[in-house]
Amino acid sequence: MLDQWKEMAWYGVSFKIPADWQPARIGNRYLLIEDEFGPAMEIKWARIKGHFSHQAHFKRLGSLQKRQIRKSVRPKAVSKEWQKVLADFEASEFSWKSGSTGGRGVILFCPTCRNASLIQFFYKNTFTNPTVLSNILDSFRDHREDDQILWSAYDIRALMPAVFKLKRYRFEAGHYELDFADRGQHIILYRWAPASVLLSKQDLALFARSVSAIRKITPVAGKMDGCDTVEWSAAPAGNWGRWLSRFKGKASYHWLGLWHLEAKNRILGVRAEGKKPLNTELLDHICTHYESV
Amino acid sequence: MKVFKKKPPGPAISRTEALDRVPVKNRQISEDRLETGVVVIQYPVTIRPFFASLVKRFGGQEARIQMKKIELDELGTEVWDLLDGRRSVRHLIKSFAGTHQLEPREAEVSVTQFIRELGRRGLVAMK
Repeated sequence: MLDQWKEMAWYGVSFKIPADWQPARIGNRYLLIEDEFGPAMEIKWARIKGHFSHQAHFKRLGSLQKRQIRKSVRPKAVSKEWQKVLADFEASEFSWKSGSTGGRGVILFCPTCRNASLIQFFYKNTFTNPTVLSNILDSFRDHREDDQILWSAYDIRALMPAVFKLKRYRFEAGHYELDFADRGQHIILYRWAPASVLLSKQDLALFARSVSAIRKITPVAGKMDGCDTVEWSAAPAGNWGRWLSRFKGKASYHWLGLWHLEAKNRILGVRAEGKKPLNTELLDHICTHYESV
Repeated sequence: MKVFKKKPPGPAISRTEALDRVPVKNRQISEDRLETGVVVIQYPVTIRPFFASLVKRFGGQEARIQMKKIELDELGTEVWDLLDGRRSVRHLIKSFAGTHQLEPREAEVSVTQFIRELGRRGLVAMK
């Protein structure tokens, strides 16, 4: 197990977890990861304006707990094994215990990006291997240099420009959807599985019609890097139409691209909508970096 | 005597225990396979006495047991075929995820929801 790791990246933070751990709950700035036996790790994070105090956050952390746990929350110096891997952060460690369960974690503050994170590992009867915890903390990053945000959950991985904020997401069995928006322009990432079942009675173009409100325009089927693709776009015709589209409530420019990853039994898709002409270079960039891992 | 006495909660089992349970098909059901390969299950449903008397009053037969049919889809048929009374839910999930290259969590949600629905209709029991 220790040799197999997978990447988890959400809302600006990224880290590696053992391959058999799974996200159990995903919030805007919150992740609960579980292993075979239940919750294994929790992480919360937020941007901090002004001064950051570890003491104040410990007090707050304690006050949010039940009385039994509150008494057992203890701040302590960061242990030696974690000091080295958390050298880039201002860190403080804590632990708590309640009956047979307990936790151990850190509060991290990054002076570069002013992000504060609370990471805690749960234990039921025994702790997870300490090397695993150290490796997770070692892989933890809360900012990138290239003004882009990495999104990686379950089997999808995408790189989005930082200006696009996540507005909506859903992870349902067979259908994932991430909706990003920037000033009226929406970019939605899709992932469907299993493709072999979804495409058993229809081709990709028909599937594209069923998932989007394509009525008048026929999707264009093609091939790219050995994958079946379908592309569809709509834009207002003529100068008058383009000018009018800016004052309409709904988006007038649409683009949808789907591609079938046969080897992975997945269908990936990107949809863009906006009132202004869509940036094709940006769409190319997003499609290139959107993958199923 | 308390009229609106709160029901005591049933014994909760952990996720690990639930995944180790083995689903067993109901012996009273019959299954047919269509040309498309999907399975149609026919199962008995007991009508409540009130509805049975209502049916009789309106000229129907007094049958307390009715047969219902349910047609599974392709994926449902696949999981149904895996139910042999020996494989645990965990095993079914692993097999289903492997066949369709699905994420473990995704397969777990699909398979457990399907088995729960079968259990609700009395088509399977857990041992």
